[in-house]
Amino acid sequence: MIKFLKLYERFGIFIFIILGSIFLAIASPNFLQTNTILNIIAQGTYGAIVGFGMTFAITSGGFDLSVAAVMGLTSVFLSLLIPVLGIPLAIIISLLVASSVGLVNGLIITKLNVNPLITTLAMMTIIRGVSLLVAGGRQIVISEKMFSIIGTGFLAGIPIPIIIMVVLFIFMFFTMYHSPFGRHVSAVGSNESAARISGLNVDLIKIMVFVLVAFTAGVAGVIRTSQTLIGIPTMSPGFELVAITVTILGGTSLAGGRGNIWGTLFAAIFISMIYYGLNLLNVQIFFQMLSVGTVLIIALFIDGARNRYLESVRAKGIKV
Amino acid sequence: MVDIRSRNLKVKVAQQWENFGMLFILVLILAIFSSLDPNFRTVYNFISIFKYSTFIAIGGIGMAFCIMSGDFDISVGSMLAFVGVLGSSFIPFIGGVGAVLSTIVIASILGFINGIFITKLRIPAFITTLGMLYIFRALAYLYTSNVPVYIENKFWLYIGNGKIFNINFPIILMLICYLGGYLLLRKSPFGRYIVAVGTNPDASRLSGINVDKVRIIVFTLVGFFVGISSVVVSANLGSANPGQLGQGYEFQVITAVVLGGTILGGGNGSLGGLFVAALIITALKNGLSLMQVDSYWQDVATGLVLIFAVALNRIRYTLLGQRE
Repeated sequence: MIKFLKLYERFGIFIFIILGSIFLAIASPNFLQTNTILNIIAQGTYGAIVGFGMTFAITSGGFDLSVAAVMGLTSVFLSLLIPVLGIPLAIIISLLVASSVGLVNGLIITKLNVNPLITTLAMMTIIRGVSLLVAGGRQIVISEKMFSIIGTGFLAGIPIPIIIMVVLFIFMFFTMYHSPFGRHVSAVGSNESAARISGLNVDLIKIMVFVLVAFTAGVAGVIRTSQTLIGIPTMSPGFELVAITVTILGGTSLAGGRGNIWGTLFAAIFISMIYYGLNLLNVQIFFQMLSVGTVLIIALFIDGARNRYLESVRAKGIKV
Repeated sequence: MVDIRSRNLKVKVAQQWENFGMLFILVLILAIFSSLDPNFRTVYNFISIFKYSTFIAIGGIGMAFCIMSGDFDISVGSMLAFVGVLGSSFIPFIGGVGAVLSTIVIASILGFINGIFITKLRIPAFITTLGMLYIFRALAYLYTSNVPVYIENKFWLYIGNGKIFNINFPIILMLICYLGGYLLLRKSPFGRYIVAVGTNPDASRLSGINVDKVRIIVFTLVGFFVGISSVVVSANLGSANPGQLGQGYEFQVITAVVLGGTILGGGNGSLGGLFVAALIITALKNGLSLMQVDSYWQDVATGLVLIFAVALNRIRYTLLGQRE
């Protein structure tokens, strides 16, 4: 059973993906085509990218509800800066702005000692307000057509968002599993006081995690803005739910300490498959919200059952 | 000697702050807005602040219990919308009284479901209710196909707009709710169980309290008070809009509870503080909109108030030399 759980933690999401694929292949003749599959993966890139950051946050025992608001802020800054500074500089500065929100989150959480949930809930409202103020409460059209290449272009037949996602995936994978920082994040998540006693700078690690989450939200904001060519202050409402769902469905435990970057990537693709399926059924857009919420509850249920089982095994004195 | 005296002073300040701090901030805010804006310092406006504060104050009672017991419920805004549209759509079939009662009952059932998920499946409360936040909102949209329900029933509207002896009915309703909440928290064993569970769930379990049952009842009570708020809010607006009703409500309610002095993470709290905090938040919003400050600034202000409130509680506890 323990072996099964370990396997599930690593590969459980593939069961969902395979079942989903079989279902969609039967339901839609177009599903098994390269274009459709690339399209589904491309739609999953935002969830995956922000999910990578969220995976770090949840692994460290934290949580970030402000990601959707950060995407909106990035979008507004891009639309205002591109005409003035040109595309590359505008992107860099927008990403810096996004990351600085993470810095503020981290500072409030560590230095003022405020609960991460409350901090990021408050920051979500604050950042939405700031984005709307900066944009003057409207959407801003970007006239620079070149900018759309990031979200809609192709490189060697593969959509550029997918390439960005893969690059970030490789970076996150090595940071999580093959760098001291990744180990420190896990240590903080599994036992904060032990990490502190053994000399880790817990506050610094937490701050860096929140900067990383906000940065990934910024990247997602850049891609999304590039696809619409509009600066949208209220971009992607409810996206924090998608990012959290993707992370937990992917096998990262809410208890902290164990992150699963692979799982996050494929869970994002799975959510994208659900959206594709819902589109086939031609149902109202609200079903998307309903389905993601339901998937989250199911994923949490599995996570909870797994932790309970492991607890009971540990209580019997077996090393896990 | 000096050391002890300065520490005593600190403790005194912190203790007095616990009793009168919020009242002081309320008076300060009322004074500032009154001096800045002649429209603010009218009796009519003060009454309307009082009346509108009931939305937050009533829903806050359940949330205060919830936070005292060591949990959170962030689904309350969506729950308010969902039960609002569902309950008000019953009016043609079962009449006003039946619809109001069923709204409150349905809200309690939804709270009960939250509680079951959290205790029996052992999923952390904040994330269960995050999922529920989107599920309830989606159900509200789907049930109404995103068309607001207009309310013309006299009884329903009376709850939000009626008057008894020239006092607004929501205010009377709120006072009844507070009396009930006070009796439950301070005069019944159940109130002591809530505080015990929030302070130390393991110790409570060992001393024979059925912790799961207490938490389920707490979440049911959250639903119950949200149900009442939902009727009051929708009656006040004259309609139940699936998208706009209760948007950001969880945020205001949690802010009020925390600002009122209830400590995040569980333990004791204050219903009186919550009541004053609800007035503070409403006065702040009212004052800013009378001065025609952008509504976006109001969001920023409420967010800052929440962080400020939590940090303030921490500082107070540090001054008292206690740990959470």
